[in-house]
Amino acid sequence: MTGRERHGTGARLRRMLAYAVLILFALVFLYPFVIQTATAFKTEPDAAAHPLSPIPDPVTTEAFAQVFGGTGFPLWVVNSLAVTLLITAGRVFLDSLAGYALARLPFRGRGAITAMVLAVMAVPGVVLLIPKFLVLNQLGLYDTYTALVLPLIVDAAGVFIMRQFFLSVPPSLEEAARMDGAGVFRTYWSVILPMARPALITLTILSFQSSWNEFPHTVVAVQDPALYTLPRGIANLVAGSLGAGTQYPLKLAAALLATIPVAIIFIVFQRYFVRGAAEGASKE
Amino acid sequence: MGRGGVRRPEAVAGWLFVAPMVAVLGVFLLLPIGMALWVSLTGWNGQGSPFQPGVPFVGARNYTQLFLQEGLTRDHFMISIRNNLYYVAAAVPAQTVLALGLALVVDRRWLRGRTFFRSAYYFPSVTSSVAISVVFLFLFANSGAVNALLAYLGIDGPQWFADPRGLIHLALGGLGLADPDAPPAALADHGLFGLSWWEWLAGPSVAMTTIIMLVVWTTAGTFMLIFLAALQDVPPQLREAALVDGANAWQRLRHVTLPMLRPALFLVVTLGLIGTWQVFDQIYVMSQGAPANTTLTPAYLSYRTAFGDFEYGTGAAISFVLFLIIVASTLLQRWLMRERDGSAPRRRWWQRMRRTS
Amino acid sequence: MLAAALVLALPACGEGFGGGPVPQQTGPAALRVLISSSGEAETRAVTAAAQQWAAAEGHTVTVIPAQDIAQQLGQALAGSDPPDVFYVDAARFADYAAVGALEPYAERLPAAGDFYPALRQAFTYQNRFYCAPKDFATLALQVNGRLWARAGLGAADVPRDWAGLRTAASRVKAVGIVPLVLDSSFDRVGAFMLQAGGWPVSDDGTRATADSPQNRQALEYVQGLLRDGLARYPQQVDTGWAGEAFGRGMTAMTIEGNWIRGALAADYPGLAYTVHELPAGPAGPGTLSFTTCWGISARSRFKAQAVGFVEAMTTADAQLAFARAYGVMPSLVSARQAYLREFPADEPFLAGADYARGPVNAPHMDRVMSDFDSQLARLAVADPAVMLRRLQRNITAALER
Repeated sequence: MTGRERHGTGARLRRMLAYAVLILFALVFLYPFVIQTATAFKTEPDAAAHPLSPIPDPVTTEAFAQVFGGTGFPLWVVNSLAVTLLITAGRVFLDSLAGYALARLPFRGRGAITAMVLAVMAVPGVVLLIPKFLVLNQLGLYDTYTALVLPLIVDAAGVFIMRQFFLSVPPSLEEAARMDGAGVFRTYWSVILPMARPALITLTILSFQSSWNEFPHTVVAVQDPALYTLPRGIANLVAGSLGAGTQYPLKLAAALLATIPVAIIFIVFQRYFVRGAAEGASKE
Repeated sequence: MGRGGVRRPEAVAGWLFVAPMVAVLGVFLLLPIGMALWVSLTGWNGQGSPFQPGVPFVGARNYTQLFLQEGLTRDHFMISIRNNLYYVAAAVPAQTVLALGLALVVDRRWLRGRTFFRSAYYFPSVTSSVAISVVFLFLFANSGAVNALLAYLGIDGPQWFADPRGLIHLALGGLGLADPDAPPAALADHGLFGLSWWEWLAGPSVAMTTIIMLVVWTTAGTFMLIFLAALQDVPPQLREAALVDGANAWQRLRHVTLPMLRPALFLVVTLGLIGTWQVFDQIYVMSQGAPANTTLTPAYLSYRTAFGDFEYGTGAAISFVLFLIIVASTLLQRWLMRERDGSAPRRRWWQRMRRTS
Repeated sequence: MLAAALVLALPACGEGFGGGPVPQQTGPAALRVLISSSGEAETRAVTAAAQQWAAAEGHTVTVIPAQDIAQQLGQALAGSDPPDVFYVDAARFADYAAVGALEPYAERLPAAGDFYPALRQAFTYQNRFYCAPKDFATLALQVNGRLWARAGLGAADVPRDWAGLRTAASRVKAVGIVPLVLDSSFDRVGAFMLQAGGWPVSDDGTRATADSPQNRQALEYVQGLLRDGLARYPQQVDTGWAGEAFGRGMTAMTIEGNWIRGALAADYPGLAYTVHELPAGPAGPGTLSFTTCWGISARSRFKAQAVGFVEAMTTADAQLAFARAYGVMPSLVSARQAYLREFPADEPFLAGADYARGPVNAPHMDRVMSDFDSQLARLAVADPAVMLRRLQRNITAALER
């Protein structure tokens, strides 16, 4: 390295190298999805014989027919949609409510509760698998829809993101509203929330994505196949047949369909995802 | 609400606003931890309630048998710890370095298509861990894409998910330093916690390597975004000043950019540590601990012990030990990466090394 | 504070759950039946039989095929809401019996004495016969006719004892064919232990007997076959299981159970092979049986109706129908002749019923045996005595729990 990167060919060469590296990694990160999509449209012998090929030969939708006809897939989709919508709605409302109170409303015990939120954020989720099962079982909620939704309807990280957001908003606006005689909830609902739109969109997207993909919680919350969500259903479709070259088009088709909603939201709301990751970073 | 002064209604509203959150977090996070702590002190076998009379109280036995009592429980627990240690040791540096490297390249101002590259690298992170695990099962199947790719290069790929051989064992065998089938007695006959040194030194198995690759692949994008956000905060004047000083690219990275990225680096390593000690979904979907327990992790073992073997006390004890491990490893990391002034002996040692090399 | 109050108040409301006898309901029942199906054919056959019984008796039955029955059942039992009837694999039976999850109804069945003794033993825990064996399979020796002939061997050369197995295998190896492919698990190697007169636990299931000289002799014999290239594990010939290696014509012999018939017919139609009883060892003949029982939950509200259901599922006629649908053998001695008339080629499998043994019948064995399986994968290079000492230690620890 000479340090003279502003000069001609050396710099151009280095840029080409950088592009080459970037493109190579883009392939590494995206080609598996290409293979997944292609394989979902392949026949089983074709999938086994040409695992790398991006072009199915012949093209068949047999795997999708099987996914819808031969598995619990339609039911899983319905369950996933219901659970995801309930959790997302709950989180957006309750997280912002609590975040606002922690940022703005002076009440006794606020410091303690803020500390609790931070402590809860620090508890690793996987450690809670057996504990969650115990409490759901004890409350008689095990193996119900409620068990799938209720424990996830508030998340500490979301509360914290909203708290940080409200702290950054100047208090003058709500003071004006309060002068007009509006109650606390009125002020929150009609003045504060509309202002918080970008943060709420970020929260909505993060909640949707995480509850749509949620897996470990469903493992300890339910066991009745009628209550399976997509990740749980797909996991059961796959687990136990490791390494066997069987039914890959079917499994990949199911996984592909489960990925599509998040992919669409990702493409449409990219910048909010990026912001979400940055918000997550400011947690510490 | 309304007229009775400003503070009182606000205080009431404050409580009302946080009440749902307190209830949910209290009932589904704090309370269960207490319940699990109790279960970890009992021999509850999963029949009926763990709080009914007649459930045997065993004190700390569930914990001591993980460390002190010879037997399969300890063997499996120690194997899971070993597996996860290698998993952490491989995945955390790999995902951090990859994320940092990608961020540094994507951050170039002259770069075209930055949004595309950034999104491409980040996309795997937003998809479902279960769906991605299915894709990797296919990629690394015996007749899958990776082995097909290796075949193009003239390499006969391994049976990824069926291969329990540890990478360090393989390397030692390959170099002719030790025979995996007849390990040196010094290592095979002595050990710690019931596992011989030879077993401790196995390295991640070939099967575990696939899961390491998977997790590096799915997390690098998120961490890249964290680095990118931090890079935006590096004042351009600083870089330009360094440029004027005639510092070369490596020197600028080492002395200007990296120090500025220290908080982001700290965050990424912390998140990486916490995440990698918790690996569960991928194990559940891809391997269930097989082959030969080489992908068994404490998180999965705790689950399997409770729900598969009906030993809820042991399972709960494992998850509390795992919790302590996570806390301890983040504390250790905090200590290792703490801000040190220039006179700290360790730093000088590093600098000396740098100068002489 | 609110949180503290909630936390303190909640455990109290859970106190109503848990033990105590479950009140029984008479009359029409809604039974839930959890099965771990071997495939579409079994699910269909069991569902059809269940619906037929339900319609005739005025009950309703829901048959639920499990993806992972151990996990689903474990959580259901802990959740105090298990299905009324469920398949119990013999290898896990003692686990369920030991925690009191099973109703010991089988000893009161009129047909209790008609089940094969080996199967009764497989579902007996602390001298109580808990649940009715659904059906069973045994191990036998399969011989590929074409490869056998290519090695110059005839029907008379089919091995009848350990020495004969070595001789025949050597002659097959001499013409460059893999003589025997054998799965690397206790579920195969255990048969050699029986043939040598050994077994990992005592007959009453209370003591570990893994480190006996008989067991060692068995492991050393199998080790000899592996070391001399007379036997291979499926992984060594790049196959997923022995049946695949046999079906693809990669080996002259294999040792598998009844299920191999269906698998070969489906995947390798036209393969010419014969089935024989396993070669006898120094202590005589020995084979392993694999079986499942109809477990009835100790917490079911419909125990009487569930017993009625199981009786209907285990009659000779019902079992013969299942045998036709998915290739298992009836668990009743009285169904033996009828079965042989329909499936004469299964004689060697059925003959094994007289000297077969089920899986190691004691609680907490699942982990122990899977640990032993991973040891067996290295049998060719490991020391059998060390392996058996480890097994002895683990079984002893598990039995002491």
